[in-house]
Amino acid sequence: MTQGMEERHIWKANWALLFFTVVLSVIGLLNLYSASVIRLGEGISLAPYFHRQCLWVGLGVLCMLGCMFLDYRRLISSAELFLILSVALLAALFLLYPDNAIKRWYPLGAVNFQPSEAVKISVMLLAAKMLSRGKNPLGWKEFGIIVCIGLVPAILVLKQPDLGTAMIIMLILGGMILFRGVKVSIVKVGLVFLVFSPLALAKLVLPNLLDYQRDRLIGFVSPDKASPKSVYQSEQSKIAVGSGQIRGRGYLEGTQSKLRFIPAKHTDFAMAVFGEEWGFVGSVTLVVLFCIFLLSIYATVSSAGDRFGGMLGAGIFFYFFWQVLINMGMVLGIMPVVGIPLPFISYGGSATLVNFCMVGLLLNISMHRYVFRVV
Amino acid sequence: MRISIESEGYQPPKHGLIMLQVLLALLFCVLVFRLWHLQIVQGDLNLQRAQANRWRERQIYANRGLVLDDQGVILAENRPSYAVALTREDCPDIPSTLAKISQWTGEALSKLERRYQNSLLEGVPGFNPVILAHDVKFGRVAWLESEALNWPGVTVVAQQRRFYTHGAKFSHVLGYVALANAAELRDYKDLFRGDSVGKRGVELIQENRLRGAKGLEMQEVDALGRPLVRENKNRPHSGEDVRLSLDADLQEAAALALGGHSGCIVVMDPDTGKLLALVTAPSYDNNLFTGRLSAEDWGKLRDDERHPLQNRAIQSVYPPGSVWKLMMAAMFLREGIKPGETVACTGEFKLGNRSFRCWRSGGHGRVDMLRSLVESCDVYYYQMADRVGIDKLTSFALSSGFGRLTGIDLPSEKPGVVPGREWKATMRGEPWQRGETVNASIGQGYTLVTPVQMAVYVSSLLNGGLLFKPLLLDGARPEAFGRTPSTEEERAFIVQAMRRVVEDRQGTAQRLGRRDAVIGAKTGTAQVVALKDVRQRVEDTLYEHRDHAWIATWGLKGEQRYVVVVMVEHGGGGSASAGPVAVAVYDYLFGAVKPRSVPRQVAASGYVVRPQDDSGLDEAIRASTQWVEFIEGSK
Repeated sequence: MTQGMEERHIWKANWALLFFTVVLSVIGLLNLYSASVIRLGEGISLAPYFHRQCLWVGLGVLCMLGCMFLDYRRLISSAELFLILSVALLAALFLLYPDNAIKRWYPLGAVNFQPSEAVKISVMLLAAKMLSRGKNPLGWKEFGIIVCIGLVPAILVLKQPDLGTAMIIMLILGGMILFRGVKVSIVKVGLVFLVFSPLALAKLVLPNLLDYQRDRLIGFVSPDKASPKSVYQSEQSKIAVGSGQIRGRGYLEGTQSKLRFIPAKHTDFAMAVFGEEWGFVGSVTLVVLFCIFLLSIYATVSSAGDRFGGMLGAGIFFYFFWQVLINMGMVLGIMPVVGIPLPFISYGGSATLVNFCMVGLLLNISMHRYVFRVV
Repeated sequence: MRISIESEGYQPPKHGLIMLQVLLALLFCVLVFRLWHLQIVQGDLNLQRAQANRWRERQIYANRGLVLDDQGVILAENRPSYAVALTREDCPDIPSTLAKISQWTGEALSKLERRYQNSLLEGVPGFNPVILAHDVKFGRVAWLESEALNWPGVTVVAQQRRFYTHGAKFSHVLGYVALANAAELRDYKDLFRGDSVGKRGVELIQENRLRGAKGLEMQEVDALGRPLVRENKNRPHSGEDVRLSLDADLQEAAALALGGHSGCIVVMDPDTGKLLALVTAPSYDNNLFTGRLSAEDWGKLRDDERHPLQNRAIQSVYPPGSVWKLMMAAMFLREGIKPGETVACTGEFKLGNRSFRCWRSGGHGRVDMLRSLVESCDVYYYQMADRVGIDKLTSFALSSGFGRLTGIDLPSEKPGVVPGREWKATMRGEPWQRGETVNASIGQGYTLVTPVQMAVYVSSLLNGGLLFKPLLLDGARPEAFGRTPSTEEERAFIVQAMRRVVEDRQGTAQRLGRRDAVIGAKTGTAQVVALKDVRQRVEDTLYEHRDHAWIATWGLKGEQRYVVVVMVEHGGGGSASAGPVAVAVYDYLFGAVKPRSVPRQVAASGYVVRPQDDSGLDEAIRASTQWVEFIEGSK
C-alpha cells in the first residue's frame, strides 16, 4: 500500500520549499547588511536594521514551525472568527487614533503591530474555505459574497492609507477565484471591466487618492506631468539597478545606496541595492530563485490532499507572486511606486513573520497530501 | 480516531494549474527582459548616471522678515543659532547617541528622549534630521561638529533665531515667535518640527508675510557622503519686512515717562488712526520666548500680580472716570440740552434716599456745560443723565465706538462694557436702576473701556467724527469703522472745552499747558473701590485700592496733530499722576526733548545695515536689562 495510514508525514513535507525559503532569507539578510552599512572614514558601522531583522527571521522560523505542526484543517471552522477579529483590530485603529494622519499600526513598545497583515491571512483563509465548497464553476452569488468579504477590509486598509496592501488583498482574492474557475459569463463581464478599467481609474479612483498616491501613478504613466519628487524615487532606483551592469559593482560597493539616493533602501527598494551590487548575473539568479520558490509552492498546490488545502495553497501562491511581481516591477520601473515589500529580502517585522507563517502553512499542506481511505 | 475524508482522489482544477504555470513563466520573462534592458542595454548609461549622481536635496531656511519702526529702526531681526539634530536612519545606536547629545548640550536625557519619541509619533521620515537640542553656544559649535563625526547621524544645524532689539519695550506689540506646536505643524504644510512660528502680536498677525518660503538646495557629496559643493535649485524667498507706524524713540520716551507705574500710553494720529506709540507697563522681555523659556521664568511671568503679559492698551478694561464726560457732554448736546443751561452743584445729588457726591465736597455752585467739563463737576452729569435716561446714553456710547472692538490688528482685544437695560437683563437678570444711570454718567459703575477705545473717540472729535481702526502698520490704509452721531458744532464745542481744561485757571489739566503748542485735555480719576465717607490721601490708601488715573488729550502744532491717552493703574488723581506722563510725551512730540541717541540700525530701501561688531548687540541687551531692572526696581 502506498497510501499512508498516519495523518502526518513529516518526511513527505515539501523540502524544496523549505530549502529555497532558507536560501532567500540568507540572501535577504546579506543584502540588508549591505543596505545598513554606514561608512565612517575607514571603519564601518551598521544601522540598527540588520540586527533587528535577524531577530525577526528567528521569530519567523518559530512561527513557521508552529504553522507546520498544527493541522491546517482546524482553521476551517474558525476562519470567520479570524476575519471578524482582524477587521475589528483594523477598525479600532481609526477609533483609537482619530488624530493621526497615518493609521497603520499599534505601537507595542519597541514593536509596531500592523493589523493589515493579519487581515491578509484571514481574508485568504475565509476565501479558501468558501471556494472549497459548492459546485463547479463558481456562480454569480458566491462570487459576489467572496468579493464583498475582500472589499470591506480592503477599503479600511485603503483609508489607512495603504494602497499597496489593499491592492494585494484584492489581487490575491482575484487570483484564487480564477484558479477555482468561474462561470463563463463572469469572465466575460470581467474582460469588459478590464477594458474599461483605465477609464474607471481616471474617473473614480484618481480623485479619491491622496496627493502622493496620485503623484506616483501619474509619474508612472507620464513622468513629465508628475512632481519631480515622485519620479525621483523611481529614477534613482532604475539608475541603481542599471549601474550594476553584468557583474554588479561588488558587495558593499554600491554608491547609490550608500549615499542614500535610494529611498527606503532597507524596505521597499531593497532589490535596488541588490541589483546595484550584484548586477545582471545576481539579479537573474534572484529572479530564478523566486521562480523556483514559486514552483515549489505550485508543487504543493497541485498535490494537495483536499480542496481547502489546494485553495489555500493557491492563495499563498498569489500572495508571494503578486508581491514579487509588483515590488520588482516597481524597482525596475515597470510598475508604479506602491508600498509593497519583496518577501524575505525587504526589512519589516510583521511582513517577515507572515511570510514564514505562509511557508509553514504550505509545508503543513504538503505533509497532508495523501488522501485517506476508510478501510 | 476521527479521520476527515476528502472526496476520493481530489484533483486541483486543471485550468487553474495551467494558469499558475503561465503566470510564473510570464513573471520570469518580464523580469529577466527588464533586467537585461536596464543592466546590459542601458548599463553603461546608468553607470555614468550613478557616478554623476552625487547631488542631494536639502532645504534652506528663508529669512524671516524684519520688523521695523516708522524710521526703519530694526525692532525684530534674525541671528544665527545652532542646533543639534539626529538622522534616525544613519544612527546605529540611538539610546547611547541620545545620551551623548545630552552630555554635550546639558539638556536632560528624558527631554531628548521625549522629543525623539514625538518625532516617531509624528511620522518624521527616517532620513530627515530631527532637531533635538536648540541654542548650542557658539563657542561649542566647532568642537561639537568634530565630535559629531564619530557619531553617525548627528549633525549640527545652523538655524536662525529671532532677536528683538528693543526687548521689553515692544514686546506687547511685536509678540514673539516660538517652536511650532502640533496644531501649527498640521495647519502650515511648510513648517517642520523645530521651526518657529509667530505666537503673539505682530509676529502672529503678520505670520504669512513674515515667514517667507523655504528654498531647495542641491548638495554634492563625495563617495563617503560628505558635502562638497552646494547649488541652489529654488532660492528661498525671504519673508517681507514689516514696517510699523510706531516710532521707537517715542515709544522709549513714553515708556520712561510712565516711571515704573503700571499703565499704558496710546499715541495716535487722529486723521488716520495710525498709532505712533503703544506702551504697556510692566512689560517682559520677549527674547525669553524665542529660546526655550524655562518653566520657572514662565511661571514668574504668568503669576506676577502686575500681569506683565497683558497688553493693557487693548486687553485691559477700566472704568473711564471723568474722561467719560467728553462723551456724555456730546450726548447731552445731541439730546438738545443747551450749553448755557446751568445746574446748581451743592456737592451732592440726591436720588431717593441715596446721595451721589461730587468730587469737590463744597460743590461748584452754578455750573453750565463748559464749566462742568473744565472743573469736572460730577453733579451736572448726575442731573442731566438722570433727565436724559440710560437708553440714550447706551446707544450714544455704542455709536461712539465704546463697548465694541476697534479691530486693531493685534490678538485678544477686549470690547469693554457699555451698560444698559438689555446688558443688565442678560448679564445679571435684573432690571436697570435709576441710580445706576447716575453712576454711569461719570464713567463709574459697570462702564469699562480700553485706553485704545478712548484714543479712537478723542480722535473722532478732531477728524470730523470718524472712528478709525487703530493702525499699526506703516502705509496701511485708514479704515473708519463708524461715525459718531455728533454734528460739527457739537464736536467743536467739546474740543474747545478740552482746550479750556488746560488753559482755564480752574481747569484740571493746567500742567499740560505749553507755549509752543495748543493742548486740550480731560482728566479722569476712576474709583476702584466705593467712595468712603472721608477722603483719604493717596499715600494712605492701599495700592490696589488707589484710583486709576486717566488723561485723554490732543495736541496741535502747525501741521502736527496728535491724540495722547495715558492711563496709570492705581495712580491716584488723573491730573497729578497721568498728567506729567502726557507732558513728557508732548515734550518729545513737539521737539522740546531730543530723543536719546541710541545707536540705530537703520534699514533703508531694503538694504539692512547691520553692526559689524557686537557693540550694537551689547547695547541692546544692556538697554533691555536696564528696562527690566527699571521695572523690577519700581515694585
